[in-house]
Amino acid sequence: MATQPPLTLSSATFAKLSPHPYLLANLQPPDPSTPSSRTNGRQPHQARQPNINTSSLTHAHGSAVVRTGDTTVICGVRGETLLTTNIPNYRSADALNVAGLGASASLGNELRDYDLLVPNIELATGSAPNFLPGVPPTTLAQTLSTRLYSQLHSAGIVDVEGLRIYHTKEDDTLGDDAMEEDGIEEQGGKREVKAFWVLYIDVLFISFDGNPFDAAWAAVLAALRDTKIPQARWDVDQEIVLCSRDNPTPLKIRGLPVACTTAVFTAKERQKKGGGQFWMLVDPDRLEESLCDETVTVMVDRTGGETKILAISKSGGTTVGPELMRKLVSVAEERWNEFKAVLS
Amino acid sequence: MTVNTEPQALISHLPKADGSATFSYAGYTVVGAVNGPIEVQRRDELPEEAAVDVIVRPAAGVGGTRERHLESLIQSTLRQIILVNNFPRTLIQVILQIIVAPENEYVNAKITQASSNLPILPALLQTAILSLLSSTLPLTATLTSTALAIVPDQGGSNIVLNPTAREVEQSQSFHVFAFTSHNELILAESEGSFTMKEWDDVYARAYSQCCPPALSSDNDDAMIDDQRSAGSDLRHFTRSTMEQKIVSDLYWK
Repeated sequence: MATQPPLTLSSATFAKLSPHPYLLANLQPPDPSTPSSRTNGRQPHQARQPNINTSSLTHAHGSAVVRTGDTTVICGVRGETLLTTNIPNYRSADALNVAGLGASASLGNELRDYDLLVPNIELATGSAPNFLPGVPPTTLAQTLSTRLYSQLHSAGIVDVEGLRIYHTKEDDTLGDDAMEEDGIEEQGGKREVKAFWVLYIDVLFISFDGNPFDAAWAAVLAALRDTKIPQARWDVDQEIVLCSRDNPTPLKIRGLPVACTTAVFTAKERQKKGGGQFWMLVDPDRLEESLCDETVTVMVDRTGGETKILAISKSGGTTVGPELMRKLVSVAEERWNEFKAVLS
Repeated sequence: MTVNTEPQALISHLPKADGSATFSYAGYTVVGAVNGPIEVQRRDELPEEAAVDVIVRPAAGVGGTRERHLESLIQSTLRQIILVNNFPRTLIQVILQIIVAPENEYVNAKITQASSNLPILPALLQTAILSLLSSTLPLTATLTSTALAIVPDQGGSNIVLNPTAREVEQSQSFHVFAFTSHNELILAESEGSFTMKEWDDVYARAYSQCCPPALSSDNDDAMIDDQRSAGSDLRHFTRSTMEQKIVSDLYWK
């Protein structure tokens, strides 16, 4: 006679069958002496230790591989030249000054106006079971790209000065119609922008285990800090930009913003009105992300000594109020120290 | 460009949709339509709750990545408000068409832009709520949403409510908050550079804007004067708009 199968379930089966009670049972152990921990063995406020490798791609101007737990992201930065004559509605900085707009107001927007930073995120097929082959970019990938793009601009980490390719005119016999606007300029040398570097920032998820934005952001930051732009000069005779392989200049990066995402796990699966027990899960993995509605992302920079917040993004629930937000900012500060140690 | 300072709304004006609303405020006009609960595609079906689908369509061109970003923010917010458990294995579709968005006269507008478009979020959320109310889907709460910017001002800085496109461009930081009618913070999006202290100030300002103390009949005048100075009371606006609609619908009785 066959032996009776046991009536209790193994924990792996329990996790598959009812993930929410499984995570709840881990966070709320029946025996009070065991500390509450997540299914991945971490404490609620414990994030995964990041590992960063730079310059691993040979054909990119800068690259980085970032690994936090089982989330692995590779980012490559590749610069391409863009002639100002090829930009529709190009207005040189001098022309804007003449028009009476402040130089600071106009110059800060060159990155955005001419789309000099082009980030793209790809979630590779097979990096997680829910990414199917042969489908258009998912909502998640598109949302991540948009967030990355707007954070790159609003955090202002790339200095546009490093992306300009200048040409200093020696004589005035060049009679080029594109240079007409320089006529009013008094200063000698007639240095003008002939072209820009456009940075194509490609992010590929090799393995996806939750918290994609933090990892992608860290990869972009590490890759940009690793980026070296080749020396470029404008060749007057051929009217092209020529680059040399020698002495590439490192790209100037301002600050070190670090993103920290926290998911809110509520004890009640169907969120009822008011209260209830909840846990803040810092750096959630894929299982936790699928069970949490509310996520908060805080981006901080402490390079100047005091904490500067560069972005807060909270959606999907009502648990986090201003008090918890303050706590999450201090969690993000700790996370910043971790990344600072790895990045520099 | 004319910016209407008072919010305006038109409820249930689309005959084919289950619920619809047009909302205009602070230079934005959005048309919203809600269909639901309707049949859901097999792959989107959720066994225990209704799937909420939000579609945002821009005023010009086709939707791109930034519309997907807005959609995901609105979807996660509305999912908390609609009683999705009442309609398992169905779909609730919210379509938001932007009609008018204020332009920044100082820069050339680009139709396709990859960056996020947070300033329009309050108008979209408000339209979605009015459309949902018009469709009479059961909700746990309504919500009110507001946008604020911290604009540098002669050495100091100033919190500007419902900033113009130019003010957003010049601002140090830009914030969008949404509160439920139970005075809980449901959505917070902030961009730019700011400190925790500034965020607290902006939060307090947004809270007083979105969660005003309930109007009591005896000191009506004083309260209304207070709110005039601070901007329009959107929660009261939502309520009075729906009351008017119900009164006109029940006129035949």
